[in-house]
Amino acid sequence: MTFLQPFFLVGLPLIGLPILIHLVNRNRHRTVHWAATMFLIRAKRLARGMARLRYLLILLSRMLAIAGLIFAVSRPMAGGWLGLTVGGAPETTLVLLDRSVSMEAHDPNTRHSKRETALKKLSELVGHAGRNTQLMLLDSVSSNSRRVEVPGDLLDLPQTNSSDTATDIPALLQQAAEYIVTNETGRTDIWICSDLRKSDWNPNDGRWEGVRQQLERREGIRCFLLGYSEEAKDNLSVSVSGVHRRTTSEGAELLMDIRVNRTTDSGQPVNVPLSLVIDGARSTLNISVSGTEFVRNGHAIPIDRESKSGWGRIELPDDTNLADNLYRFVYAESPVQKTVVVSDDAGSGEYLRLAAGTSSDRSRLADAQILTSGQAETIDWNQTALLIWHAPLPSGRMARQIEKFVSAGRCVMFFPPDVPTSDVLFGCRWTNWRAHEIPVKIGRWRPEADLLASTRSGAPLPLGELKFHRHCEIQSEQTSVLGSLDGGDSLLLRALSDQGAVYFFSSRPGTRDSNLIDNGVVFYVMIQRALARGTAALTNAWHLECGDLAALSVIDWQPMDDLSSDVLVSARSFQAGLYADRDVRYALNRPLSEDSPETVSIEVVDSLFRGLDFTRLNDVAGSSVSLASELWRMFLLIMIMALVAESLLSLPGRRSKTSSAAPGMLDAAAAVRSDAAAVRSSL
Amino acid sequence: MRHFIDPQVVSRLSGLTLDARMPMVGNVSGRHRSLTRGSSLEFSEYRKYVPGDDIRRLDWRAWGRSDRFYVKEFEADTNLRLCLVVDVSGSMGYGPEGQQHDDSTKLDFARYLCGTLAYLAAGQGDAVGLSCAGAGTQLEIPPRRSAAHLKHILDEIAGMKAQGETELSETLHAVAGKNSQRALVVIVSDLFTDTDELRSAFQHLRFRRHDVAVFHLLEKNELDFEFDRPIRFVDLEGSLPLLVDPTMMASQYRDTVQSWLKEITQIVRNSLVDYHRVSIEEHYADVLARFLLARTKQACQKFNTEKT
Repeated sequence: MTFLQPFFLVGLPLIGLPILIHLVNRNRHRTVHWAATMFLIRAKRLARGMARLRYLLILLSRMLAIAGLIFAVSRPMAGGWLGLTVGGAPETTLVLLDRSVSMEAHDPNTRHSKRETALKKLSELVGHAGRNTQLMLLDSVSSNSRRVEVPGDLLDLPQTNSSDTATDIPALLQQAAEYIVTNETGRTDIWICSDLRKSDWNPNDGRWEGVRQQLERREGIRCFLLGYSEEAKDNLSVSVSGVHRRTTSEGAELLMDIRVNRTTDSGQPVNVPLSLVIDGARSTLNISVSGTEFVRNGHAIPIDRESKSGWGRIELPDDTNLADNLYRFVYAESPVQKTVVVSDDAGSGEYLRLAAGTSSDRSRLADAQILTSGQAETIDWNQTALLIWHAPLPSGRMARQIEKFVSAGRCVMFFPPDVPTSDVLFGCRWTNWRAHEIPVKIGRWRPEADLLASTRSGAPLPLGELKFHRHCEIQSEQTSVLGSLDGGDSLLLRALSDQGAVYFFSSRPGTRDSNLIDNGVVFYVMIQRALARGTAALTNAWHLECGDLAALSVIDWQPMDDLSSDVLVSARSFQAGLYADRDVRYALNRPLSEDSPETVSIEVVDSLFRGLDFTRLNDVAGSSVSLASELWRMFLLIMIMALVAESLLSLPGRRSKTSSAAPGMLDAAAAVRSDAAAVRSSL
Repeated sequence: MRHFIDPQVVSRLSGLTLDARMPMVGNVSGRHRSLTRGSSLEFSEYRKYVPGDDIRRLDWRAWGRSDRFYVKEFEADTNLRLCLVVDVSGSMGYGPEGQQHDDSTKLDFARYLCGTLAYLAAGQGDAVGLSCAGAGTQLEIPPRRSAAHLKHILDEIAGMKAQGETELSETLHAVAGKNSQRALVVIVSDLFTDTDELRSAFQHLRFRRHDVAVFHLLEKNELDFEFDRPIRFVDLEGSLPLLVDPTMMASQYRDTVQSWLKEITQIVRNSLVDYHRVSIEEHYADVLARFLLARTKQACQKFNTEKT
């Protein structure tokens, strides 16, 4: 427990004052010559039990009253939940701040967002209760820990401002654990400020176990979750996808899919005026949102025929979260989605060509061709978005060419050949085919990202229907497993690469190997997603997610609209904006996972921190209830109660009439006399 | 005149008589009813003549009317034997606020009571005796009527000192045993003694047909125990001193005293003792006046009852 006026605690020895007075009183006794000693001895014998206890209670009440007074004037601090700061201030306080878009949901009355509320409360708490603690900030955007000298600075630091990013809570905790281990921080409090979005917490992530074990091993670590899981009321979020320019007979138009999400379903449709700004020209589109979602696919906006490339944004009116009311986009002439399938197996190769050559968007041109491994030298690398390699892993010049192709941001998918070789590419090597008498299914996969991710509506891909008769084992280093079969063997791996994407799929679409063709949804979606990723590198209109710019240099980017001009260069990587770099245009937006209101349940959160000293505090945006509040009222109350108890215990017992003075004595004697006279006269 | 005999008090009480509650057996004529028939003016009864009776006491008018011999008997008046028993144990040396001087202790009060009573009794021709109940105090003066005897008793009363443990019960048994004739036994004590022994002593006195009166002397603090600070109580009868915090045991003390008083009350009721609980803060003249008036009143009631 900490105190605002700790020097008053010097008076704590005064608690012993009643005992001292008691002892002094005993020694200051006067001497009385007494006649009725026989009663004293009897009374003393009787007074050994309850009376002694009563006197002890009186002494205790007096001591408690003094203690209450001293503590009250010392102004002790504690959390809104008593005992938050019991045990003293820690040596280090780590604040793990979720700066994701969803944390910008605010209270309509106070206009304070969840992030601001959390920061304010934490700065008050540390300011009051942890004067000698070292305050460290780990925010979800920057990967560095930063020391905060004055707790009040938490509210003003650029590292605590809002961002348009998502948060990786396991990574943040991993970072905190590493900081604790590296710096030997001693007694440490970890404060996690988050709104518990499932997309940020990834409760199924394997890193949780590692973090937990790392923290379990350390002593004096306490974890506090300042949770803001309450949904923002009637919040609308807008996003667009599939933006591309199309030339029509009348000129040109922009096609896009518009999606508006609503957090709560009131049962009544809501009319929303959507503002569309294309190259600075504003128009309004009135829509009616019923339920929790509004989707308009292929919405066409006519543009000037000469306008080959440009930018735009779509805006919602103000609501309880301003950060998800705006979505930016850029457009340019659409490139051809070209896929090259290198396969020595004509059957499987054809399946792959069909999946890649059939565009999910009619307005886009898709082209896929099959080459044998011998013809691979003829590939037009500059125009190709996706390379599907269904042949023995290449080596030598071809391998270097593929690496160069990937580093240019394109995408490669490897399927196993009939006869695996010992060649290694991207740290991976096909080893042996393994046949299964009973077809195996997919055991685990990552639904949150990449090729096997769930759909935007949150529905998972029908991976459970897939069956594999055989698969080729992969020996790999530094890969992430996107999906694995029952039994643990990898089905889909992503190799490590700075740019582009490299995937290894351990089975094939032929009926001999799997039912990927019979249940073609997964197969088609997977290929199309890989193609979309590769095509993104070909276009001059890039749609990027904030916080996921990888190695892109943002310094030379030029803002394209007035909103982006206000963003500092240092903040471009995590603030949404519209930029141009020579011919390439960039639209930076929040990750769409931030639009999903799903949160992790309390039980799940508790299970993630099981075995740790963990405390969960639920709060709401704009709340003024302080985490650190002064306790002097409580101690004053204790003092008053102790005084009342003392006075009640000290009250003299009820005195019977005959016990006092002469009149009563005479009455009793008279009664005796009259009795005696009556008896006497009757004799 | 002694300091404990106030002429004003004597003058005030001289109009009252010290009456016995029952017929007495005296050796001289007095103002108290006797068990035997005598020659007073108060007619008692007719009795048949038996040979040997004094023929001067025959009622000739009754012989004339009924031709039978009757002897006319009259009440006899005799004197009273007053035995004063004073407790001179250490506890009688207690006075208000623990004082043992200033003429305010229970023994001083007893001195005033006994001195005045002895003086009044002697004044009305009664015999007065004195016994002191205290450890090592074996004073027993049998009742006599002479002026010199009164002087001797008053000297002894003046010289009484409170000391040692009480031997009230033993003294009462001795008084009961040595006084074979009826007497008025007036006990002045705080009765701080074993109640069973006290009960036995009262019953012994009653068995000997003595008229027993008790002045139970108590000081207010002995009942109320109104102390607020730790006190070292030194026993006046010689027990070890006790260091006591009165706030811790005041109620237990009062309860103990109350139960003891109830027990005393029960004992005196059963023994037909004329009991007077007296606070020594009172004036002894008031106490004596109450005592004498009550006795006179009882005597009148008794007379009226017998007459009707």
